[in-house]
Amino acid sequence: MQQVVCKLTELQPGELKEIQFGRISLVIGRTGAGELFAFSNRCIHQGAPLSKGKLCGTSAPTDLPGQYSYVKEGEVLRCPWHGREFDVTAGGQMMSDPRRALGRFQIFVAGEDVVVSTLNKPEKGEVADEQK
Amino acid sequence: MEVKQGQTTDGPLETGIIDTDIHERVLYPDLVPYLDNPWRRYITDCGWVQEKHLPYTQPTVAGLNRADAALPDGRPAGSDLAFLRSQLLDELNIRYGILTGALDPSPSSMNGWHEMATALASAYNDYQIEHWLEKDSRLYGSVHIAAQDPQAAAREIDRVGPHPKMVQVLLPIDNIVWGDPYYHPIFAAAERNNLVIAMHHNEPAVYFGRFPRYFIEWHTLISTAHMMQVTSFVFNGVFEKFPNLKLLMIEAGFTYVPHLMRKMDQQYRDLRHEVPWIKRLPSEIVREHIRFTTQPMEEFSKAEFEQWLDLLGSEEMVCFSSDYPHWDFDHPVGGFPNMRDSLRQKIFHDNALALYPKLPQDHRR
Ligand code: FES
Repeated sequence: MQQVVCKLTELQPGELKEIQFGRISLVIGRTGAGELFAFSNRCIHQGAPLSKGKLCGTSAPTDLPGQYSYVKEGEVLRCPWHGREFDVTAGGQMMSDPRRALGRFQIFVAGEDVVVSTLNKPEKGEVADEQK
Repeated sequence: MEVKQGQTTDGPLETGIIDTDIHERVLYPDLVPYLDNPWRRYITDCGWVQEKHLPYTQPTVAGLNRADAALPDGRPAGSDLAFLRSQLLDELNIRYGILTGALDPSPSSMNGWHEMATALASAYNDYQIEHWLEKDSRLYGSVHIAAQDPQAAAREIDRVGPHPKMVQVLLPIDNIVWGDPYYHPIFAAAERNNLVIAMHHNEPAVYFGRFPRYFIEWHTLISTAHMMQVTSFVFNGVFEKFPNLKLLMIEAGFTYVPHLMRKMDQQYRDLRHEVPWIKRLPSEIVREHIRFTTQPMEEFSKAEFEQWLDLLGSEEMVCFSSDYPHWDFDHPVGGFPNMRDSLRQKIFHDNALALYPKLPQDHRR
């Protein structure tokens, strides 16, 4: 299945948007650098609408207690409820548990349009996470 | 996982759900009309606000609230009945919701100035009745008190406790542990008004009267504050002196309870002589008198959840709570594993119905 969801000009870098893809609600967006992403809009934890969350950065893992270094600005999707972080540049991986990831969709530009389609094969981790 | 309206995990519940922890939000200007002077003037002229205890406000994307619960016009989460109705009561098929409100201002957790705290508690109760309890048949309320002055608190319980929609007295977790006889006037007032007593975590200091460095430590250890209170209630003989009293421990979950019951039983076997007014195993007292909310839920498989209830030795001790609209809200579908129909019915409805004698006691709507 494939669907035009908006014009590229309607989705600015750093922005999140909820769209309807057939019967499924998706969160789509662009990283700060402009890269597109599309995921199921239901958080894999308790089902919160991710489009109501924030696209932000996060503190990088470190070996030094007390050290904060804010990285990945515009690449981290934080859930509006319990705040879990998902790396949109790494297939929606949950940053605190990389074995789990958001349900992912393909998204690309065709002319001026942004197009979403289902992935050919579900990626490892997604199926198990979605069938709670 | 597809969520349909008004469902718990595994399907709809015919009775609907009882939610034992909903935070309506009050703002200082809301309370002003319910205050006499000089209290009113201290707020309107002097800009009085209660001191805050909790040194953290940052846990998630919208501070301490669900990001999608803020009102479109910018007012804070939980402050509008119509919005709360649609996002919580209607959406999740809540049959009865127990309001636990008042976190800021929170008269019950004020230090000093007991008179102001007492006035604020009364104002809060009057506001709650008029703006929430009498506006939606599904909502039931908590009597807020300034426990620092137990006699005044008992008078407030006698004043508003008889209201048909007041179902419990909310007790703060503070520096005098609740088994202390100092609080007996409050228990007596709750008992004679047919009210449950309930304890919400509020802002307990969990590190020797202070706060740890990180929110993640504090939030992990809230159950330790509840363990102290439960232990104090049990060994100080509160339920021996007030045999009709029931206690709901709100927002520390229930997974600490099997450990605590086992530990108290062991200690009792060795040290009964020190508390001779306790005449049965502490675990029996807990099972009879104390209930625990589900939230904040850890993630469980179906088997793990059942194992935990096995350790409790009862399916009747745990009551669903959402903690709406706070950030650590639990959804009745997404937050729970699948469970047997009979267990689901108890956790999401029947256990709370049995706890609160003032809720209409029919099992069908
Ligand atoms: S629902 Fe997304 S983090 Fe809990």
